Amino acid sequence: MTDPRRSSEYGLNALLKAGADKAQCQVTRIEKHELNVISGEMSLLRTTFDTQVKLIAIKDGKKGSTTINKSDPDSVSRGAAEALAIAEASVPDEANDIAEGQPAARFVSGSESPDRDSMHYRMKELLETARERYPTLLMLQAFLDFTREDTYVVNSNGVDFSAVKGVYRCTAVFSAKEEGKVSSFNGTSVAIRDLDTPLIDCGSLRRLMRETTEQIHTCHVSGKFTGDVIIAPDCLGDMLAFLDDSIRDRALISGTSVYRDSLDQLVASPVLSLHSRPVSGEICNGYFITSDGYSAQNSTIVDRGLLKTFLLSLYGSKKTGKARAVNDGGAYVVDPGETTLDEIVKSVDRGLLLVRFSGGNPNENGDFSGVAKNSYFIENGQVKYPISETMISGNLAECYRNIRSVSRERVNYGYAVFPWVAVSGVTILGK
Amino acid sequence: MGGLDLKAYAGLFKTYTELRVQENRTIQISFVKGNNTVNLRSATSGVSARAYQNGSWGFASSPELTPDAIASVVKEATENALFLDSRERKGKAPLPVAAVSSDNDFSTKKPRLGQKELVDFVRQIDDEIARRYPGLASRSVILRCLDMEKTLLTSDGSYSHSMIPRSQIHVMLSVEKDGAPVELMESYGGLGQFEDVFESPSSLWEGIERQYQHLMKKSEGVFAEAGVKTCVLDAELAGILAHEAIGHTCEADLVMGGSVAGDWIGKQVASPLVTLVDFANTALGQTCPVPVYVDDEGTRAEDAVIIEKGVLKSFLHNKESARHFGVQPKGNARAFLFSDEPIIRMRNTGILPGTSKLEDMIASVDDGYYLIKPSNGQADLTSEFMFGVTLGYEIRGGKLGRAIKDTTISGVAFDMLKTVSMISNDMKWLGHGMCGKKQNIPVGMGGPAIKCQVTIGGR
Repeated sequence: MTDPRRSSEYGLNALLKAGADKAQCQVTRIEKHELNVISGEMSLLRTTFDTQVKLIAIKDGKKGSTTINKSDPDSVSRGAAEALAIAEASVPDEANDIAEGQPAARFVSGSESPDRDSMHYRMKELLETARERYPTLLMLQAFLDFTREDTYVVNSNGVDFSAVKGVYRCTAVFSAKEEGKVSSFNGTSVAIRDLDTPLIDCGSLRRLMRETTEQIHTCHVSGKFTGDVIIAPDCLGDMLAFLDDSIRDRALISGTSVYRDSLDQLVASPVLSLHSRPVSGEICNGYFITSDGYSAQNSTIVDRGLLKTFLLSLYGSKKTGKARAVNDGGAYVVDPGETTLDEIVKSVDRGLLLVRFSGGNPNENGDFSGVAKNSYFIENGQVKYPISETMISGNLAECYRNIRSVSRERVNYGYAVFPWVAVSGVTILGK
Repeated sequence: MGGLDLKAYAGLFKTYTELRVQENRTIQISFVKGNNTVNLRSATSGVSARAYQNGSWGFASSPELTPDAIASVVKEATENALFLDSRERKGKAPLPVAAVSSDNDFSTKKPRLGQKELVDFVRQIDDEIARRYPGLASRSVILRCLDMEKTLLTSDGSYSHSMIPRSQIHVMLSVEKDGAPVELMESYGGLGQFEDVFESPSSLWEGIERQYQHLMKKSEGVFAEAGVKTCVLDAELAGILAHEAIGHTCEADLVMGGSVAGDWIGKQVASPLVTLVDFANTALGQTCPVPVYVDDEGTRAEDAVIIEKGVLKSFLHNKESARHFGVQPKGNARAFLFSDEPIIRMRNTGILPGTSKLEDMIASVDDGYYLIKPSNGQADLTSEFMFGVTLGYEIRGGKLGRAIKDTTISGVAFDMLKTVSMISNDMKWLGHGMCGKKQNIPVGMGGPAIKCQVTIGGR
């Protein structure tokens, strides 16, 4: 394989030689080792190598880009010529640009190579522990992979970054079955730096597996009422996705975002603070370089309820006249609250502990509805029983404002750190 | 990809092995409110091998297509299978043998358009929408094209080549109502390369006008009344129901994972009006949106009848699960990228048409909803499902009433299918479906309209 640094430099030169006024080339070499479990059995060991070469050309204000997965000089030259041809075909736009020059830097995180024996040991241990502790549990699928990415970004403004990241990721999907009755499936993913800890103790795996075995026998919630919903860390990311989508390029350029005029305004309860921390120690599966070619920095998205930044790209920033974000978002960390989860549960008269949400995409206004999966009914401050066929609906923008408490406890998934969050005023529809 | 003769590598196989060379080519051009926000092409190609040893699999892939790289992935896949076998010692029997030959190429015979012509095509649509509908708050027009070209050789004698393209234009229209956005998306296109799917921008005007009229009604829409209602689900919703709520629960890997369908083969699980099929490549004499002729394990693709007249008949299999259940595989093992292993997937899943007319079905509902467009959908091993609905109307006294705001429907599919009382006599396919089970992959979903009882969300 061609050296990725040389390929990136070759790609940049090829773009400029082909006539680009401004050019950027990103080359990423990806090596993945993945152990797969299907239906409770270790089924497949997978080793894949790939290369991504992303070539961006701007000529006369027109932008074109191509992505190929070959890094030899002939392929890169053809890709560069195609990027120029696409730029020629494009529409001029003053907002098209590439990152300005920054000091060259090299970023490194995680291991360089996988420990295949430990991968096999930890996966086997997970399956055996699950069988022993949760005999009704069925491991539908599980994957443990080690992925190493070597990324090089160079551009005609002098950007010269490289990043090497090695990370293990485990995903497990499971259900439970007993006497012909089956639970809903549930699943979780976690990113980890090493294999020092048993997988079952990473993220929320142990809790979700235990809960799934409790969910074979469910009850219906009766009637329709407005209540409190405690959103578990496992589905907080889904609930925050509306905010994330609404402060990005598409929603802000099209002008449809409900937050388009909300910078430094209250968009959530003052108990919520949300950060994007792609380069923090608590996030092992973050990133160092933004998609525009900037060195990524951590940022605060919501500070005690106030919206502090949009997630605009360089293009989106120039198009809207608003500030460019210092990162690409993601790697979300929600600050812990003052109360314990137990205390929050005790404060709920009637509502749900929402562990998984299966819902339609919210509309641009934030209206949502969907099914509360793997979830529990709460009454008089106690978790009563697991539920089925229960829908919830509301408006996510209102939900953010109606957050009344955030738990002290949090779960670190390696790609996000989330607490339990209690929201008032959600419509709950049982049978 | 041209010029590679995979048969020359058959001598490298030490055990059951699949060797696949694949290229996925994409085009994306986006206009958001007149701004050309995306203009790109990509190509992802490479070679992969998957080897089987006593119940353990090894897989390897490389983006390089040189003889050395091909030999290397076969060797690494074999070593991975041996590594896992040395640890697991499952001692399972050999896989069912398949030996078929096939070549299906849906490349256009017309001259290919260049990027500038494609950009101009999309821009003309965007310009025309801006001219016709000046009151819109926003609009997006997105062209997405995907060509998937595969060549496969298996150690048991299958050899196939396919080039399956799809081309779609997604149009999103948005208006503002009382300070809040209301939007509606529609997708146009389907199987084929751009030149075969889209004749001219004007061929979309009629559909976009219909979309705009629906949007105007939706902007005056009301919240659905939450509860269990009699609904007529139009073809797109019936299709997503067939895929998400029934199809997934009948995939053999999910059956082994505890799906409720596992205990119900031969049992009545739906109204006798319901016959549900996972079509391989051709349905009712027409080529399906995602035709599969030979799957990525080298099995000849055949239709799989999942429910026949309300009785659960079969599951969907790869070679390994077919051996486990003692049946023949029907070509459901598919991979999206060259670097993906084949897993059990649907192809084109739909309920067969009935005998009723859609207007009679609507007229028969006293108090309910006519639901037309889904957004996303999810289902469960329990067959409990949820679909987003982005377009629908009230039915009052057998007549269509006000449009409704975005909502969600849910239910337990095997219960809900027992309430099906009418099925329309037509069949429409949703040609832009993507299924996200580990790997995203194109699927077809379709059907007639069905009348049934379903829980609808609302306020």
